[in-house]
Amino acid sequence: MSGPVMKLLLRRLLTLIPTLILVSLLLFCILRMLPVDPAAMSLPPNATNAEIEAMRIEMGLDKPLIQQYGIWFGNIIHGDFGASIHYRTAVSKLVLDTLPATIELALAAMVFATLFGVLGGLWLFYTRGGVVESVLDLGTVALLSIPEFLWGLFFMLLFGVSLDLLPFIGRLGAGVDRPETITGFLLIDSLLAGSPLTFLDAIRHMILPSVALGLSAAPPIMRILRSTLMDVYQEDYIHQARQRGISEGRILIFHALKNAFLPTLSLMGVQFGFLFGGTLLVEIIYSYPGMGNLMVDAIRNADLPIIQTVGLTYCVMVLLISMVVDVLYLVLNPKLREA
Amino acid sequence: MALLDVNRLTVSLTTKTGTLDAVSDLTFSLEPGRTVGLVGESGAGKSMIGRTIAQLLPPGFAVSGGALMFDGEDLVTMAPDRRRALLGRDIAFIPQEPLSALNPVLTIGQQFREHLDHIGKGGAGWKDRAVAEMEAVRLTDPRGLLDRYPHQLSGGMCQRVLIAMAFASRPRLLIADEPTTALDVSVQAQIVRLIAEMQERDGTAVIFITHDLRLAAEICDEVIVLYAGRQAEYGPAEVLFRTPAHPYTRCLELAVPDVAGAPRGLYLLPERMPGLKAIAELTGCRFAGRCPLADARCRAEEPALAEVGAGHVSACWKSFATEAIAPPQAPDRVATGQEKILEAQGLTKSFVTKWRMFRGATLFHALKSADFIVRDAEFVGVVGESGSGKSTLARTLIGLETPTSGALELLGRDITGTDGGTRDWRQAQMQIVFQDPQSALNPRRKVGTIVGQALEVEVPRPAGAEIEARIRQLLSETGLSQEMVARYPSQLSGGQKQRVNIARALCRLPRLLIADEIASGLDVSVQAQLLNLLLRLRAELGFSMLFISHDLAVVRYLCDRVLVMSKGEIVESGATEDVFANPRHPYTRSLLAAVPKGVRQPAMTEAST
Repeated sequence: MSGPVMKLLLRRLLTLIPTLILVSLLLFCILRMLPVDPAAMSLPPNATNAEIEAMRIEMGLDKPLIQQYGIWFGNIIHGDFGASIHYRTAVSKLVLDTLPATIELALAAMVFATLFGVLGGLWLFYTRGGVVESVLDLGTVALLSIPEFLWGLFFMLLFGVSLDLLPFIGRLGAGVDRPETITGFLLIDSLLAGSPLTFLDAIRHMILPSVALGLSAAPPIMRILRSTLMDVYQEDYIHQARQRGISEGRILIFHALKNAFLPTLSLMGVQFGFLFGGTLLVEIIYSYPGMGNLMVDAIRNADLPIIQTVGLTYCVMVLLISMVVDVLYLVLNPKLREA
Repeated sequence: MALLDVNRLTVSLTTKTGTLDAVSDLTFSLEPGRTVGLVGESGAGKSMIGRTIAQLLPPGFAVSGGALMFDGEDLVTMAPDRRRALLGRDIAFIPQEPLSALNPVLTIGQQFREHLDHIGKGGAGWKDRAVAEMEAVRLTDPRGLLDRYPHQLSGGMCQRVLIAMAFASRPRLLIADEPTTALDVSVQAQIVRLIAEMQERDGTAVIFITHDLRLAAEICDEVIVLYAGRQAEYGPAEVLFRTPAHPYTRCLELAVPDVAGAPRGLYLLPERMPGLKAIAELTGCRFAGRCPLADARCRAEEPALAEVGAGHVSACWKSFATEAIAPPQAPDRVATGQEKILEAQGLTKSFVTKWRMFRGATLFHALKSADFIVRDAEFVGVVGESGSGKSTLARTLIGLETPTSGALELLGRDITGTDGGTRDWRQAQMQIVFQDPQSALNPRRKVGTIVGQALEVEVPRPAGAEIEARIRQLLSETGLSQEMVARYPSQLSGGQKQRVNIARALCRLPRLLIADEIASGLDVSVQAQLLNLLLRLRAELGFSMLFISHDLAVVRYLCDRVLVMSKGEIVESGATEDVFANPRHPYTRSLLAAVPKGVRQPAMTEAST
């Protein structure tokens, strides 16, 4: 990897640390304001007040808040995220079990969002100045106002229930072999296990939730690609390319798209951050066994260690996405690469 | 048969209310190896011809009459595929802005390769062919350039790359649209010579579009002077320049100052060239409204092109009466005072370009130990190429940069400090007008607000009526009409915008005005008005000015003294007339030599790059 990319990665990793400290502090404080008592919850309902009090001291809940945070954060650094109050297992294991499913879903959704966004943007650009453009424009505004969970419900009812085309519950069908968990990513594991049927079934299960997610993230991408393409076509180098007799198709692909893609990419970074957060609702709708369902269960059970850790994981994922996008931006933009 | 035959070509814009002609009845022909110049102010229709040849007209414009034949083929009715096959191969273009004509995200190599593919010279070994083409235009290290991006190259280098691409196909016709306007004077001369040399090699016919009549006279065989879309005059370059038949040609020439010869005034063309709409409503000669020789017949009947000499035509009822148009008197020189307004001693500004541990910083000296004085009511010119430190000097003077070392005194008071008091005081005494009149004006503020802004913050705040009166006074002083108060910048022309900028700078009447390239990019007639305006304002209001410009003739016309800058240093300074008549420093001499003087250069070979 070239020097500037390494430099950027290093800088972003360094800023990651204070960001995480801030987010974790915020999470910790907010959750401590909830009217729940972790000590009471981790004991059987018939425990006496003295027993609860002893548990409080054992769990360190009698110490000042900032000290409690210090202990928690210190443990995190050592890889100890605590144990779930409800499941009585290590939180890190619960999160690691569900995270791959969520990442898989989010990545598939990003692929769809990019596909819809870029193709839609090109279509909008292609119809510029005509009646079709106004119609499409109205269409994107309508798309823009539909949130991912509505798409989720709609697709589930249409393609799942009414047309019965695609499965809409979980990651795999009932009669399909579960591959041995190696990476946690079903698509990879099923290939490693050499079972193409499982692979295809996993893909079929991913289509509805990821399209729902991707579709909600795509409209802003379409619109910005269209408008930056319009700007790029005003540039001298497009005119010069035409004067050199270069064909319109080549001008679009070779000259315009690469320039127009830069602002689009920055927006995609923001969109994909939102998209990752959007997995939560979609997972619930499709009973998708990812981090979102873990989170919702944890909230229901007031399982503070899980909530804290999952919250932090979402935050790290969003930061990672924006980091990847920044690196891509750097790779595509020669002007930035020098600085 | 001529290579290019343009016969009564008319290009029009179709609107809801009818058609408006942007180019009317253009007729000329071009033989292989010859150069024709298209000269005129912006809006004259110069660039339309190139766009018509490529059929890349702005939306709404189309050829509405006449013929445009390239080697016997009709360029207007030609199938798009056939045209695309000609473009880039037989017909090549060199653009005005070399930096923006290259794609910023593609390397020079990628773009060169695409072009070679297009002209059928791609495939294996394209690199060697690209390198050979770039060597022909004397680019150093062409192999290394292949992997570089346009922004890593200077404007002159980008233009060389584009010339190399244009000539890679040995084109038969080249259209160069103001190819040197965005470049420094000395680079300009090199590029012009290079185009001529490549033209010689390939026997290419060239259409050279420029606003600079002198440059056209130097390099073209024939020149067409365009006015409001119509040919005013067409003839052999030298004849046309020495003895112009059309009054517009004469006025154009007299509107531009000289770098040598007896001092004279600038001819002021009143008003502006009529726009497309106005042309449609005109009767008679299109130039009549601004012509000093116009009479009743000129306003009633439109003159046709008539032969006035061998291969020389002019569309004027009074061709050759141009002798009557005399250059105005040289403006009176205002006696400059003795009071030192601005004094710089050892003024230095360095930037850290690289910082390495243990080895310390690598410094770039943008401004090296500058010493100069600007006296009361004195106009001091600063000339030099881009990168010579002119703009750093301006930025340091107005406090956008803090000097690294040296003393800077305004009216005897040290202004190197960055505290608020010094800043406010400096702003009251010194104002700057920037190069780009457009971006210096807030598009959401009305002209009146922009001009009077400085008074709004004054303590105590003057009464509304008082501000109002001052705004009106400033508008009339800068030659703007009173209706402008309620206009927005987007509704003004380039010249008007620059006047608003000057009015704004003069609002609280500073002692010193810093002008950074304020006359460049303006049409010659607008430029002449602006220069005379500055001289008049000095006579009336008595302020000093530091006038930064790359245009030596303008500096000679306007300034009492001149500072010549090169690589951050003032290499020569003195009274303008002395420096221009007897330049001592070789750099000054080379700058002066590069200015076009309207005399055809016999040897068109480039001695050194």
